Amino acid sequence: MKKKLIALLLTGVIVFSLAACGSSSSSSEGDTSAASEEAADDGSESMGSSDDENTLTIAAWDASFNIPALEAAAEVYKANVNPDFVLDLREQSEASDIETAITTAASAGNYDTLTDIVLFQDHYIESYVSDYPDAWLSIDDIDINWDDFQSEKLTYSTIDGVHYGVPMDSGTVICAYRVDLLEECGYTIDDLIGITWDEFTEIGKVVKETTGKYLMCINGDSGDLVYMMLQAEGVSQFQDGAPYITENETLKEIVQTIVDMANEGVLLLTNSWSDYTDTAIQGDQVAGVMNGNWIIPTIEKVEANSGLWEITTMPTLTGAEGYAANGGSALYITANCSNVDLAKDFLAYTFGGGEGAIDTYDVALTDGGVISTYTPAGESDVYNQGVAYFNDTAIYADIVEYGTHVQTIEQNPYHYSCGTQIAAAIVNIINGSDLDAALQDAEDQLNFEMGN
Amino acid sequence: MENKKKGMTLQQKQSMSGWIFLAPATILIAIMSFWPMISAFMTSFKTGSSANMQWAEPLWYNYARMFKDKLFIRSVGNTFLYLIIQVPIMLILAILLAQLLNNKDLKLKGFFRTCVFLPCATALVSYSLIFKSLFATEGLINSILVNLGILQENYNFLGTSASAKAVIIIALIWRWTGYNMVFYLAGLQNIEYSVYEAAKIDGANGWQTFWGITVPLLRPTIIMTFIMSINGTLQLFDESVNLTNGGPANSTISMSHYIYNNTFGTGVANFGYATAMSFCVFIMVGILALINMRVGDTRD
Repeated sequence: MKKKLIALLLTGVIVFSLAACGSSSSSSEGDTSAASEEAADDGSESMGSSDDENTLTIAAWDASFNIPALEAAAEVYKANVNPDFVLDLREQSEASDIETAITTAASAGNYDTLTDIVLFQDHYIESYVSDYPDAWLSIDDIDINWDDFQSEKLTYSTIDGVHYGVPMDSGTVICAYRVDLLEECGYTIDDLIGITWDEFTEIGKVVKETTGKYLMCINGDSGDLVYMMLQAEGVSQFQDGAPYITENETLKEIVQTIVDMANEGVLLLTNSWSDYTDTAIQGDQVAGVMNGNWIIPTIEKVEANSGLWEITTMPTLTGAEGYAANGGSALYITANCSNVDLAKDFLAYTFGGGEGAIDTYDVALTDGGVISTYTPAGESDVYNQGVAYFNDTAIYADIVEYGTHVQTIEQNPYHYSCGTQIAAAIVNIINGSDLDAALQDAEDQLNFEMGN
Repeated sequence: MENKKKGMTLQQKQSMSGWIFLAPATILIAIMSFWPMISAFMTSFKTGSSANMQWAEPLWYNYARMFKDKLFIRSVGNTFLYLIIQVPIMLILAILLAQLLNNKDLKLKGFFRTCVFLPCATALVSYSLIFKSLFATEGLINSILVNLGILQENYNFLGTSASAKAVIIIALIWRWTGYNMVFYLAGLQNIEYSVYEAAKIDGANGWQTFWGITVPLLRPTIIMTFIMSINGTLQLFDESVNLTNGGPANSTISMSHYIYNNTFGTGVANFGYATAMSFCVFIMVGILALINMRVGDTRD
């Protein structure tokens, strides 16, 4: 009998300790350390909301880019509005961590694991709102004058006419060129403004022959280049929700241009993203880079080339100056937000164009290189300072200005799938496939994925 | 009377305590392993967003869809190509290495065995990344080949589909040969040395000894390594993701990689279709293992 009793006791202890282990991991959520301290840890952190009425939790992913911008906003709000305010930053290792968190939380039907606010990539948000409508809160009643934002940027965070997000960084496309290398070939940057892609290819051939460097590069497994070139023409890869590929003459012309550029040694298609940033750009293999302006910090890492770069607009098929946007993200309030009013007030006051907006965006730019899509921000002194790396030109004000010209084109949740398929088609065409057949394959596969 | 009072015979008691000992593990396995399997099987008949899944119409929609999916068929083709080329090369190398390292007169045996086994101790992701940088266009292999004059200019190994596949196969062989060798070494140690002596007296040369004695006696080990390798290769994931990311133009994508892309990889969470494909892989592994066991079975 005694033995049984002891056994029972021991079992009880084990069961109890197991149960205790299970709950202890989630009880450490209420930590109210300041935003700056939180961001100092570089590991990924768990998500979750906060019970404190002055605390907002937020998930973002880049310690050198969007985290400093959020810290700036927290400081501004704390200094001017609410001295007790704490922005609890939960740093993730990459953007897809937040997408995965939403997917798993929504699949389980339990949103407790989400932060009050998440930073979310523009091209993914539409499908996540349509797949998981319960995970998000509409912010239609927020105190923001939407006209102050670049209209193209707002099309991502507005779904079926309802506002869900507050824009943060911009993806406005820049064409950056090495002025010294262009000079070596007898060109100036003015020769690259408002030109056609054919003219661009001709200049690129000369640059390649003279300096051995590529005038353009992109990672070959993404559809970014096609997307940017198409947007500059005002054309989408989708029409009425269906793929618009084989019957899209503009797209065909652009794909042919890309293939020609690759074959002529003007365009370097790298195998992967890291090859693109580390080997091609930082390995100094290129004389030009075209991408969203978030590529600037990557270019700036080659200190030896400081002062040798300048930026301008994109070439187009017609020779008009081209404008596009690629990438970027916005801030969204999740269904787990326990303090919606505070979250809305914070977003409106800082990133949304309230009184703290200029201060927020100025620090966001200097600390993180985050460029705003809030048009008045481009008028501040910080935006109009010359940037030494770019030959003392005021590139940030220029980029905000470019952003106002970006045309709105039809977006689709299958944006990245489409890009992958077209990128695969381009690789196949360069390797000798027929253009029409390869694009037909891409369209078929995309239609298949979309279940059409 | 005493027995009736307690309600249990000695045998019943014993079997009862047996059940009690088994119960915790059984229940845990059922909850942690079997229930997710059943749940996944049901998911494979559903479609729609993972927050609101509906039964597919018709029920086998996801399974029928697979046969029309060119990319899935390509990923199956890629995986089987890896399987057919890599597994035999790897197992033959492993058995030869095991034979060499089993030599009684070999010095520094432990050192060599460790060397061959060492690749297995590296993490899958890290070794994939190392191979990626080795075979990069500006990587070590290219500089060596160019400096030796074998190549005229840097070759884009990972950007050309045939060579990208070859790199994955080379990486797989490097990583897994040592692992299989250990099984063969263990198997060889169970073979009586006197058998070899007898063969020697009968005048058999090394080759004949190998085919006549070593291989037949190692048969159970060979079958086991075959099944494990087939199973492992069909679930190939890390190499496809980290070495080539499935590229160029999806020419190296593996089945598991494609399944992953359909859930978390590209932002379109298609769990129903992904689980259906997983069950398809499961069936393939099962069939191949069955064939393997039938072929290797010596009892008639």
